[in-house]
Amino acid sequence: MRTSMSIFAGLLFLAATTASGQNYQQAMGSALGEFAQAKTVEDFRNAGNKFVMIANAEPAEWLPLYHHAHCYIMMSFFERTNPEKRDGYLDEAAISIDKMVELAPDQSEVFVMQGLLYSARLMIDPMTRGQQYSAMSAQSIGRALGIEPVNPRARYMQIANEMGTAQFFGNDISASCEKAQKLFDEWADYTVKSSFHPQWGREQVAEVLRQCSSRN
Amino acid sequence: MRPFINISNLFLLLFLVSGAFAQTTINGTVKDNKGEPLPGANIYLKGTYDGVSSGLDGSFSFDTHTSGRQVLRTDFLGFESFEQEIDLEVGILQFDINLKEKFNQLTAVTITAGTFEAGDEHRSATLNSLDMVTIAGANGDIYGALQMLPGTSSNPESGKLFVKGGTSEESQTYIDGTLVLVPYTSSPPLTSTFGRFDPFMFKGTIFSTGGYSAEYGQALSSVLQLNTNDMPEEDELNISLLTVGAGIAGTKKWNTGAVRSSVNYTNLKPYMAIAPQQYDWNHPPEYFAADVSIRQKTGSTGLLKLYANFNNSFMSLNRLDLNNDKKLLAYDLKNDNFYLNGSWQTTMGKDWIYRSGISFTENNDIIDFDRVNFRETLRGVHQKNLFIHQLNQKVIIRMGTDFFVKTFINDFTQDDDNLLVDYSEFSGAAFTEAEVYLSNKFVMRAGGRAEYSDYLNHFNLSPRFSAAYKFDDHMLASLAYGRFVQNPLNSYLIYSSNIQPERADHYILTVQSSKKGRLFRSELYYKNYDDLVKVNSDEFYLPQAYDNSGEGYAYGLDIFWRDRKTIKNAEYWISYGYINAQRDFRDYPQRAIPSFVSKHNLSVVYKHWISPIRSLAGVSYKFSSPRVYHDPNLPGFHNRKTIPFHSLDVNLSYLHRENIIFYLGITNLPGFKQEYGNRFADLPGEDGIYASEPIVPGADRFFVVACFITLSKRGDLNQMDKIQ
Repeated sequence: MRTSMSIFAGLLFLAATTASGQNYQQAMGSALGEFAQAKTVEDFRNAGNKFVMIANAEPAEWLPLYHHAHCYIMMSFFERTNPEKRDGYLDEAAISIDKMVELAPDQSEVFVMQGLLYSARLMIDPMTRGQQYSAMSAQSIGRALGIEPVNPRARYMQIANEMGTAQFFGNDISASCEKAQKLFDEWADYTVKSSFHPQWGREQVAEVLRQCSSRN
Repeated sequence: MRPFINISNLFLLLFLVSGAFAQTTINGTVKDNKGEPLPGANIYLKGTYDGVSSGLDGSFSFDTHTSGRQVLRTDFLGFESFEQEIDLEVGILQFDINLKEKFNQLTAVTITAGTFEAGDEHRSATLNSLDMVTIAGANGDIYGALQMLPGTSSNPESGKLFVKGGTSEESQTYIDGTLVLVPYTSSPPLTSTFGRFDPFMFKGTIFSTGGYSAEYGQALSSVLQLNTNDMPEEDELNISLLTVGAGIAGTKKWNTGAVRSSVNYTNLKPYMAIAPQQYDWNHPPEYFAADVSIRQKTGSTGLLKLYANFNNSFMSLNRLDLNNDKKLLAYDLKNDNFYLNGSWQTTMGKDWIYRSGISFTENNDIIDFDRVNFRETLRGVHQKNLFIHQLNQKVIIRMGTDFFVKTFINDFTQDDDNLLVDYSEFSGAAFTEAEVYLSNKFVMRAGGRAEYSDYLNHFNLSPRFSAAYKFDDHMLASLAYGRFVQNPLNSYLIYSSNIQPERADHYILTVQSSKKGRLFRSELYYKNYDDLVKVNSDEFYLPQAYDNSGEGYAYGLDIFWRDRKTIKNAEYWISYGYINAQRDFRDYPQRAIPSFVSKHNLSVVYKHWISPIRSLAGVSYKFSSPRVYHDPNLPGFHNRKTIPFHSLDVNLSYLHRENIIFYLGITNLPGFKQEYGNRFADLPGEDGIYASEPIVPGADRFFVVACFITLSKRGDLNQMDKIQ
């Protein structure tokens, strides 16, 4: 009798965790689908809402926080007119990023997102924020590369920063282009840990290469 | 014994556990306080995967298989999250949710009466930190930049700050909360001076031209709060080469701390050899400065800052001795200044912040003129404690103490005679102030300050009050009242302790409107001065020569317009101040317009980023209407007027490479004639006329060419913030 009771309890637990696991899989899948389709501030907000809900249900997971921050950074990019709103979205992203840094300081991607946040802050007012935030962004990307030197998103951000500076000074960008080409060719070699892990970046590198080929 | 369940039952059970719950539909709407729908709000059962975003009309609907008691949560950016415990039962549940706008001190109304803030901490700041150093004509001097703001009167023969009808001594400078006793470099009488501190040390600047917090005492007219940078971003080496000197600075950073040190040397001799000068220098000004600053994190929230600065200067100027047949006399001035500032900040629990600071100043001026050797020493310590308590989201209480110890020594030697006079003072103050947000739109701040000086044996209380109201997202009005007291000049206190602190009452009303990169601000003020010290006799060394019978007033209107929107890649501001002031103080025989006040002050600052040549170009124009001065050859007092003051200044910063910047600045490009009245002999000559000489600037124009280089591991950091 005792055996059957423990089997019963075990089964109940299994059922419950499977249900939750299924829910996590399902919710992440659907939210990431929404993110991939998002075209407006509102779309990103709605996707972000889902990630908040997931983050609340799974407080030990850093991935929902990551995607939530990504949504709000995208909102700041898509909001074109009101700089205060843009900063407001980034404040929201920063909350998730701070939580992630606490939760998963060993994850390279966490610092890529932090670097992206600082670049987004910079873009709101490059004249006055340039110095401070370019240094902060470079530092975060450096940290991401320190943890995982092959991280393609960290490599992309580094190349984009380098190239931006070179273009501003009218310097030759061929070194950056070579790096971008190498990154593009090697992109598929990087093993994504799961379908919920970050995968963005390839398009952005392709865009860099388009700029490279149109420069002549 | 047969198992309680067999394998086939197992799958059935699994199905039952995960699918047995019946479905509930939750729907409703999300609106704000005014009943406006909020699209995009997040409505979900906390800790579950069930939820949805509200639609364009604020409505929402979702299904859940969860049962029992759950928490329904609603989030929306800028609003307080709403949580409600609900009982899930089969069927349809309806909720109409009203969200309250979130109170946010960063975006809530701020008190702007009298205050210009530059910094990145508040995004609503009138100016940002770069503005302080990219103004043409300011040449990287903090005080020069502030003189482009309304409320200041320009006195180029001094270079110091004169605010809203006050003397330069009425304006105080604080670094990280503690007083800077000698903020300016030493210069011979009637020649221009500048600030001792590098503007790049500071992350934020708050310039308050009246009505300031009870935290600040010993200032009748204005308070300049300079807040130093926290941790640097990375290791770097900065080199600056100028036509008038050179400097080098190094920064080393580690995990929990950093150290930065710099050495600067300035010598105007080579410059003066090629640029025509109106002064006759024996030894053109030569300055040496060295400083070191240390940052150390303490615990998880604490930060300790230490800053030490040593300045040394020497110059010698030939002056006409108007008393003595216009013979040329050398005026030698040597200055040593040491300034030390330490501060520590930490949080205590969730709601308390404690800041402690101490500053030490020792300043020595040694003057040799004619047969006189004069040595003036000022030594002082300021210790400050400040507690900030966040009582709740809408109430902040600040309280603290100040202790000052000051010694002032004058040592005259003429031929073989020596006279040494000195005084020492200990004073203490306690202050408290509450800031209460009655709503997002309305804030009030009230408090007071009590001070006691042992030397003057005097105790005083000064109340402070201010409030601000925000009409909408763009427009706000604030008002401030305060009583301010300040000890008389050291040069009076050294002879008399029978006088009291001087007093000013400020009444300020400010209306500010800002929208999309444009800002308009107007400020009306009235200041009443009382208990000003008068010197009633030529026998200045007698205590009875001094009393507090002086008084005066100042009122005026300041207008400020700033536009960062209309012209692409450019911004400009226009600042205008009208002032009417009179006072009877010091050695004035009667109430009169003070010689440091000009009725109309106008400045226009323009900056343009020229992208193809990666350069920031700047133009500034400054105008001050004539000031009065006293001509002893004519009847009456303050009986003559200076010519009006004009200056047109330009600068250009060129970003040559990532880490190299070239800079060119020219002050008074067109060479407008500048003259600040006349100085006169102490006694009339044999013909009964007081000999005189016009007071002029050192040169018609001033130019500087500089190059700034930054070396860092990354290689692309530069010093654009140094001059842009």
